[in-house]
Amino acid sequence: MFDTVLIANRGEIALRIQRACRGLGLKNVVVHSEADRDASYVAQADQALCIGPAAPGSSYLNQSAILFAAEVSGAQAIHPGYGFLSENAGFAERVEQAGLTFIGPSAACIRTMGDKVSAKRAMRRAGVPCVPGPDEGLPEAPEAILALAREVGYPVIVKAAGGGGGRGMRVVHEESALLDAMALTREEARLAFGNPEVYIEKFLLHPRHIEIQVLADSHGRAIWLGSRDCSMQRRHQKVIEEAPAPGIDEALLAEVGERCAAACRQIGYCGVGTFEFLYEKGAFFFIEMNTRLQVEHPVTEVTSGIDIVQQQLRMARGETLTIAQADVRSQGHAFECRINAEHPRTFAPSPGRITRWQVPGGFGVRVDSHANAGYLVAPYYDSMIAKLIVHGATRADALDRMRLALAELHIEGIATNVPLHRDLMRDDGFEAGGVDIHHLERWLEDRAAA
Amino acid sequence: MNQEQIKTLIDALAASDLAQLEYSENGSTLRLFKQAALESLAADTSATNGPPSASPEAAASSSSTDCLAPLYGVLHLQPSPGEPSFVQAGQSVAAGQTLCVIEAMKVFNEVRAERDGTVAAVLAVSGQEVEAGQPLFRFA
Repeated sequence: MFDTVLIANRGEIALRIQRACRGLGLKNVVVHSEADRDASYVAQADQALCIGPAAPGSSYLNQSAILFAAEVSGAQAIHPGYGFLSENAGFAERVEQAGLTFIGPSAACIRTMGDKVSAKRAMRRAGVPCVPGPDEGLPEAPEAILALAREVGYPVIVKAAGGGGGRGMRVVHEESALLDAMALTREEARLAFGNPEVYIEKFLLHPRHIEIQVLADSHGRAIWLGSRDCSMQRRHQKVIEEAPAPGIDEALLAEVGERCAAACRQIGYCGVGTFEFLYEKGAFFFIEMNTRLQVEHPVTEVTSGIDIVQQQLRMARGETLTIAQADVRSQGHAFECRINAEHPRTFAPSPGRITRWQVPGGFGVRVDSHANAGYLVAPYYDSMIAKLIVHGATRADALDRMRLALAELHIEGIATNVPLHRDLMRDDGFEAGGVDIHHLERWLEDRAAA
Repeated sequence: MNQEQIKTLIDALAASDLAQLEYSENGSTLRLFKQAALESLAADTSATNGPPSASPEAAASSSSTDCLAPLYGVLHLQPSPGEPSFVQAGQSVAAGQTLCVIEAMKVFNEVRAERDGTVAAVLAVSGQEVEAGQPLFRFA
């Protein structure tokens, strides 16, 4: 059984995983790029190894360097975090072949869920509700394609099987535009994902984005830990998340949650994962599964009282899941604001040196961040520099707490989206809860026009 | 870190396809480089040796005919590796023409010519970090 974990990631999630390792008495090895050598979690690591230059392709995506770092450091397990190699089935396979533990599901599970068509087929088999449309790639014959779309009903969305996270899709409102849209998406998919397979689904006009967090061991046990609403998005990037998803019938949620847990048992899933759904007019439609830890996991941690990253490590160690479904509670309400180094109005990226770093605290307030005063936000990576999480007895209570926390948060030296979050906490639609996935972009358009 | 450990690390590096290896333990750090890697490293030490700070010399020498970097990021003088540069010294450019791209946080920001003119000199190196306000091109 492993006692040393190599953390193959950077930033706040590297620190989050390091804390979980410490909590379980596990040693941690941090691998880092030249740009991250001065990060706090690098200094705090039991061992730190530089694996290459700043560019991700030469460091955090360099599989050989990471595997070699595991070998020389004596780490027996690799935690991929999120992004980078976290959903790379080939890497998971190489880790296993090296005799190490990949902290995540099997390569086979990653592969099945990474292909959106095969994922949809697996979910249908497990009784998870999916978006109307066939769970197979589109045929070649134009007549057959048009017939399929007619059956689904317009508008439809053409999606790449190899896509995900909002990439490789195109909405079609009428039959005359379908074949061209399909050909374009196929060509883009071939170039971007190396897989030209495309499929069609019914396009929902005003859905919410709701997801279910699951936890599974390697002995056939799986539970779901609650729901999250991540509808506040810009360009398919989540900006604010909350738990639980407000205004959803509890019996319906429990039924969908149980289906997700059952699907995990059926496909032999191990570790943590998230089933993402569109929700419209009281119905859930599966869109994709993230086979990894997610950015927004803390809102579920604070409402469930379960340390999701520690559980993930324990499942990877082969422990039996000791939490029963009946013991999983959702208490109060939580929000998370993603704090990004970007201009609050133009969204222009703003890397640079942080000169002032004053973060909020107190009851029900949590800040997950690797940054501090003097920290240089490098231009090579994602713009997220912190996550501000609050927990309250009710949604209104949590909202009040977030407003106060944002008022206490002061970052200088670089531009951040803190002013945007402050404004959004005063938006009537968001305050009422249950907005659709287009709400934030509409809000931004209205503001730009005003 | 004892001699035995260091020897093990040297052997491990030699047997691998890696160019360099850094190992830290109990506050001491060992950096190992293969000879070939060392030569290429020497060429770009300035880029990798910690964060750039605002360069007063550069700022002082910038003239009103210079095109300055609008933000801190990684400079790209070509559209993609292997392709010719957007512009070269001696070339005349039209207002609005793309001069270079600055990459910051997965976003590629195009830098365009403000007016018609001739590029007298390219003042920064492709692939390296540039500071906001750093001169990139001098116009004749």
